[in-house]
Order: sequence, then structure tokens, then C-alpha cells
Amino acid sequence: MIAGGAVRNLSLLCAAALPGAAVCAQITATGASVQQGIQLVETGRCTEALPLLERGLPHVTDKALRYRGEMAEVRCAMAVDDQQVAADTLFRLQRESPGDPEVLYIQTHMFSDLAMRAARVLQEKDPTSYQAHRLEAESLESQGKEDQAATIYRDILKDHPNVPGIHYRLGQIALAEAGDAGPTDAAQAEFEKEVVVDPTNASAEFVLGELARRKGDWSVAIDHFTRAAHLDAGFSEAYLALGMSLAASGRFADAKPPLQHYVQLEPDDPSGHYQLAIADAHTGDQAGARREMALQAEAAARSKTMDTTQGHPVQ
Amino acid sequence: MSSSSQRDRRRFSRRDFVRTSALGLFSSSPLARALAGGQTQPWFEAVPAERSGITWTHTAGLSPNMYLPETVGAGCAFFDYDNDGWMDIYLVNSGPCDFYTPPTPLRNALYRNNRDGTFTDVTEKAGVSGNAYGMGVAVGDYNGDGLPDLYVTQYPRSILYHNNGDGTFTDVSAKAGVAAPGWATSAVWFDYDNDGRLDLFVCRFADFSKEKNVWCGGHDPGQGYYCKPSVYKPMPSWLFHNNGDGTFTDVSRESGIAASLAKAWGAVAADLNNDGHMDLFVGSDTAPNPLFMNQGGGRFVDSGFLAGVAYNPFGVARSGMGVDAADYDQDGWIDLFVTNVDHEMYSLYHNNHQGGFDDVSLRTPIGATTELMSGWGLKFFDFDNDGELDLVIANGHPDLVIQQHHPELRYRQPLLLFEQKAGSWKNASDLAGPAFAQLLAARGLALGDFDNDGAVDVLVTTNDGPPLLLKNNAGGDNHWLGLRLIGTRSNIDAIGAKVTWKSGELVRHRSRVGGGSYLSSHDPRMVLGLGTRSQIDWLEVEWPGPGGSRQRFTGLPVDRYITVTEGHPGWQPSA
Repeated sequence: MIAGGAVRNLSLLCAAALPGAAVCAQITATGASVQQGIQLVETGRCTEALPLLERGLPHVTDKALRYRGEMAEVRCAMAVDDQQVAADTLFRLQRESPGDPEVLYIQTHMFSDLAMRAARVLQEKDPTSYQAHRLEAESLESQGKEDQAATIYRDILKDHPNVPGIHYRLGQIALAEAGDAGPTDAAQAEFEKEVVVDPTNASAEFVLGELARRKGDWSVAIDHFTRAAHLDAGFSEAYLALGMSLAASGRFADAKPPLQHYVQLEPDDPSGHYQLAIADAHTGDQAGARREMALQAEAAARSKTMDTTQGHPVQ
Repeated sequence: MSSSSQRDRRRFSRRDFVRTSALGLFSSSPLARALAGGQTQPWFEAVPAERSGITWTHTAGLSPNMYLPETVGAGCAFFDYDNDGWMDIYLVNSGPCDFYTPPTPLRNALYRNNRDGTFTDVTEKAGVSGNAYGMGVAVGDYNGDGLPDLYVTQYPRSILYHNNGDGTFTDVSAKAGVAAPGWATSAVWFDYDNDGRLDLFVCRFADFSKEKNVWCGGHDPGQGYYCKPSVYKPMPSWLFHNNGDGTFTDVSRESGIAASLAKAWGAVAADLNNDGHMDLFVGSDTAPNPLFMNQGGGRFVDSGFLAGVAYNPFGVARSGMGVDAADYDQDGWIDLFVTNVDHEMYSLYHNNHQGGFDDVSLRTPIGATTELMSGWGLKFFDFDNDGELDLVIANGHPDLVIQQHHPELRYRQPLLLFEQKAGSWKNASDLAGPAFAQLLAARGLALGDFDNDGAVDVLVTTNDGPPLLLKNNAGGDNHWLGLRLIGTRSNIDAIGAKVTWKSGELVRHRSRVGGGSYLSSHDPRMVLGLGTRSQIDWLEVEWPGPGGSRQRFTGLPVDRYITVTEGHPGWQPSA
């Protein structure tokens, strides 16, 4: 009704604006065609509605009508399995209405639906492919059936020893099985194989770095974190971990560049400011240390995650 | 990078990584734990009230309003109030204040050691029953008359009980000027200015009163819970200088102590940088842990931030509770320990000799074991007299209803015993006996050898419950020397003294720290473990300032207590 009202108001305005009559006629016609498209969608006639919406929507300036039209277009496109139109329209909606709960809700459904369809097609077209097995293993892993998942991952490696990511998954499963108190040798071996198979896997490098850091093996940790940061410039935690490891090994001057990069990437995280303050202080930059201490205090005060359940709303 | 690898990276983020699982922590049966190791006698054996005579019970006054003090108390002490050479016991209780009117009178308890494993309640005669909502106790001979005095922390005012030497005490708080109005928690006696007199540091928790109480949770019945202290404002703690005439001067401001705001629970005094001045480390809840480095001249600077003990490695304040200090790895530099709450892990801070400390708990079983635990009192000690320092910790979540909201957590939790062997730590709780399988709302923890057998016993208080007295059966397997130090030029309690001993190839040292644990005070005697060695080659005492002299002793006995007095040649058998 809102959109219909908008179209009527637009018509009235155009009727009063004689010099632009031709433009107004076009706008009115466009609005009317979109309104018609929406009505068709509401009655389930998507194949008729889509052309009207695709043609009309780019010219609609009324925000409410445009929002309704685009939402209708997404629903219709999904119904007729026109994934391209659905995705394009959804991204447009996301841009025009950021944070809109309905848009986010539809987006969640759409991508979930797309994933399910793709998985189904994969199973139908090539059920014996390693990709199909990998998907099955990942699904099992997400259900907590890690033993079964590991079996499938190992089977994949028998025939495809160089598939990237499989050793990484096995490493993650081994880590979970070990718990943090258990031995991590098996996990470490998998991650080491992973970086041989896929030398670009920044995540595997990061985990290897963390395993070394936990043992206080700073030089090994530094090597892995350096590679992780090099492989993925956006991997902020790799810079933090690198800086922390360098500082822990007494290389405070070397620690500063990665920490400075980290605080640029994550200015709201107290961790980077904290570590940088310590590095500054140890390198004689007392002003820098004071500045970072202040930033750390501000960031910590803003931080709501205290990682404790004492006074226990879920955090 | 693929979306799955990004997901994995998130899954294995640093925070996930440093968190550790305590799977099985609460699952093993007490019987299985008790029987582990096939011991004929448990290392630690609970002494029941009917045997000890300690029938007193802590009353928290738990109320529907959930005032925070209700869930954090209380403390205890081993001390020899009558100087008969046998450790007596003091227990702190709640009491009347603005938020609590006990339905029946409550009192603290002083139990005299009958020297036969039993105790007699002498509170009434002694006159040390407390007069407000009690928290903790610190024992120190502030006037150097050879009689240990009691400082009892309370909300809203604390008490200094002067030991009259005739089995009675006198409340001298007003004259002494140490009432410390506010919510006082732990207290520590130590000589910060090396003038030979014991000064007093008193932890202050948050800005709290009945009017300032904060309600947390829903308002329907059963929906409230004890607040996380982050909802309260931090406050400065107190430092009182001993004037030597029975009075004290509040030097909190001029000393620099008041410059750091904290929510202070535990405190320990020790010389952390080997400069001859006693420093202070304080456990602070949801606020940075202060590390007050003594600059000399009566000045302290809080170096917690740059020393790496104020925050976790990610720059976030943890819930610091109890603390202790000891050179656990015998490298000549005193290390630190802090208990925290669940999902924070406890911190074992190794002194890096450069003014900083490295949290090495993840490199020991301490990190993983304590991931889901909340700790309070703790103390380094050599429970089996093998010459290595071990660690005992009292645990329990602050919130009674935590399990309703977090099924993985428990309000009552077991004690922990970590044993150190050849430089590595082991969780030995399973071997320690059924008492270490018992689930407790433990809070205070004091060490003391109540039966004088050289095996240091443990006293644990529980919130709203009876205390737990644990007799140590493990220390008798090895040889030992018990040592009472009496300062003459330095403070009479010899806080800050360093003792080194040699027995064959075994060379060890131990420092006498001030305070440590949570709300509690300990047997002032040191028990030096010798392992299987049956003689001591020599023992050296380095007295704190202003004396600062070294004395070496030879021809010492073993398996008994002796007294060494500053400046006096030789040793005397202890009473």
C-alpha cells in the first residue's frame, strides 16, 4: 500500500509539473510497472513478474517502492532458480539498506539455499569425486563426528595426496582430540605436511607458529608467523602473534613494525596497544609507550569481552 | 584464501588457542582419584571436626540482594598466639554491617592448639571475635614485643588486635589509626622502609556500600546472581607506616600506593628485583594487577603494565584474586602467581630478571587445568620436603548459580596440588587424597605445621561452610629442618629474609615473603626440605634491612625446629 500510495503521489506531482510532463509520464509508467510486478509476485506469477521488475526497478526513485520491488525480485529469482539475478539484487539491497534485518534474513536463506543446491548437484554429478567426499567430511566435522570425518579425509589423501587443505583439516581434528593439555605432535605433523602441499596456506603457518609459541620456541614461532603475515597481508592476528613472539624473545625493536601494523588493522583491540607499549618502553620510546598505554586503556574499557562468566550473562 | 580456510583460522584464533579444555576435570570419581597411585596413606588427610574440635562454621549471610561481600569470604590464619611453639588457628566470620544483620550473633574463632591434634575454642577469653563483616586476617608483631598481633580486615572498618601476652587481645585500631574505612580484604605486614618495624598494607576492594550495591540479572525470583566486579569502581589500597609508638601513619598518597586504583583481593610482599627493598604485588579483579616496585625513600611505582603482570597477554585485565611469590625455579629471582576466574587460567609469572615477568602457565599443566576453574587462596610450599617448591590452590566459583547458566562450570570445585619435580610441574591432585576430590566453595588458604612433624599442613576456609584442616602425611617421607627467624635489627618477623641451605649436592634458597594467598596468614616458620639427605652442610641467613647481615650456621640438626636470632651466634631449639 505504501508503494501504491507513492505512485499515486508521484502522479499528482507530475500532473502539476507541466514542463516535465514527458519525464513524469515515464516515471509514472515505470512505477506502475514495478507495482504491477509486485502484485504478480504476490500471486505467484514469477515468470511474468521478473521482466517487469528487472526493467522497471532501475528507474524507480521512490525508496519504499524500490525496496518492495527488489525484495519481490529476490524471492522470485530464487523461486525460478535464477541465481545471478537473485544475488545481484540482494547485493544491491544490502548496499541500499545496510543492516536491514529482512535483507539479512533473506540473504542468509539465499546462501544457505544456494549451498544446498550446489551440494546436491555435486552428489548427483560426481559422487565419487574427492570434492564430494570432502564436503561429506566437512559436514560430519560440523556435526562433531570428527573420527568419521578424519577417516574420509585420510581416504581422500590416499588417492589425492596433494589436495590442499586436507592435512590442515586433519591437524585441526588432531588438535581437538588432544585438547589443549594433550600432546600436539600428531597435529603438528599434519600442519607441517599441509604447508608442503600448500605453501600458501597462511592458516597452517599460523597454527604452527602458535604451537611453537606455546612451547616458548620463539624462533620457530617467529618464522611461521612471519610467513603467515607474508602470505596474507590481511591476517591481522599473524602480525600480533609475530610481534608478541619477537617481544617475548627480547627483540623489542623488531617487534614494533608488526605491532604497529596490527594496531592500524585493529585499532580497537587492546592487545596491540598493550604489546606495542611494552615494545616502545623497552626501546626507549617512553612517549610512545605512554601513548599506547592510554590507547590500550581506552580500548580495554570499550571491550565488553572479559572472557569470564563471573557475573554471567553470556558474553 | 578460501572461505573455509578463513573459517578455520577463526576457529583456531589466538583466543581459542590460549583457551584450554579442562575436559574430565570434574568427571573422575573421588574414589578413583583417591585410589590413584595405590597409596596406603593419602598425602593429605582431612581432619574431621569431631577429631580436631574445630566446630566453628563460616556464615556468609547469603541474601536475596546478593551483596558481593557475601560470596567472597573469608580468611584464616595459622599463628602461635601464646608462643608455646604450637600453631593455633584463627578463622574469620561475617558480622553486622549496613547490609547484614545476623539473626544470631556471629563471631570469629581462635582455636588454641592442645598439642595433641585437637584444638580448644578460646575466642571469648581472647576477645578477638570481630565486630563487623569479616574478610581476612594478617598476623604480625607490629610492636616487636615477641607476641604476634592480629589485623582483621572487615567491611566497613578493620581491627588491629594487640596481643597482651596473657591469652587476651585488645582492640587498638583507633589508637593505631589503621581502621581503614571501606571494604578491606587481604592485608600484609612488611617493612617497606627498612626501619626495622613492620608496616601494614591493606587491600581495598571496590567502592561498595549497601547503597552502592548493584543488582545483576533479572528481577524475577531466581534470576539474580552475584555481579561481576566490573560493575564497581576500583579504589586505592592503604599503606600504613609504623611509627614505632603503637601508632601508624597513612602514607598511601605520598608513597604512590594510592595512585593506582584496583579492586584488590590478594597481596604479597617480596623483593622482586633483588635491590634490598620489599615490593608489593596485588591481585586485582577486573582491573589491572598493580606491581608496586619499591624505589626506596618510601616511594613506590606501579610497574605492573610494563612488567607484564597487569593484564593478560592481550591487554585485558583478568580477575586477579589470590597471589603469592617464590623463586620456584631457584634462579635467584622471585616469581609470582595469581589465581583468576574461569576462562582466564591462573598465571604463573616467571621473573625474567629484566623487570618483567612471563606468564608461563601454558607451558605447564597449570594453564590447562585451571581453564574452567576459579581460584582464591594459594601458596607455594614444599609439601613433601624434597627441596622443590610445589603449589596448593583453593578453588570455587564466586556465583552460587553459575552451573544453571554455564553447565560446564561448578560453584564448588576441588583443591589443586601441583608438584614440581626436576623443574617441571605436574598436576598431582589425583594423588593427594580424597580431600582433593571434595568439591568446595573454598576461599582462604593458610599453611602451617599444626602437629610439628615437619610436614606443612593446610587450612582451607569455605564460604558459608566449615573450614577444612588437611594433615600432611607426605612431608615425613623426607628429612627437613624447621626454622624460626627472629629479627633484632631487622623486623622481628624477619619478613624479607633469605635462607640458603646446602645438603650434599642440594643447594636451595627460600625467601620469607609477607602475606600471600587470599585473606589469610601463615605459620611464620620455614620448613626446609632435604629430600633423603640426613644432614645439612650449612645454612645461611641473609637478614633484611636495616641489618642486612649474613649469618652462616653449621652443625645443624635435622627433622626438628630451631630458632635463629639475628646477630646471635648459634641456634636454639624451638619451644
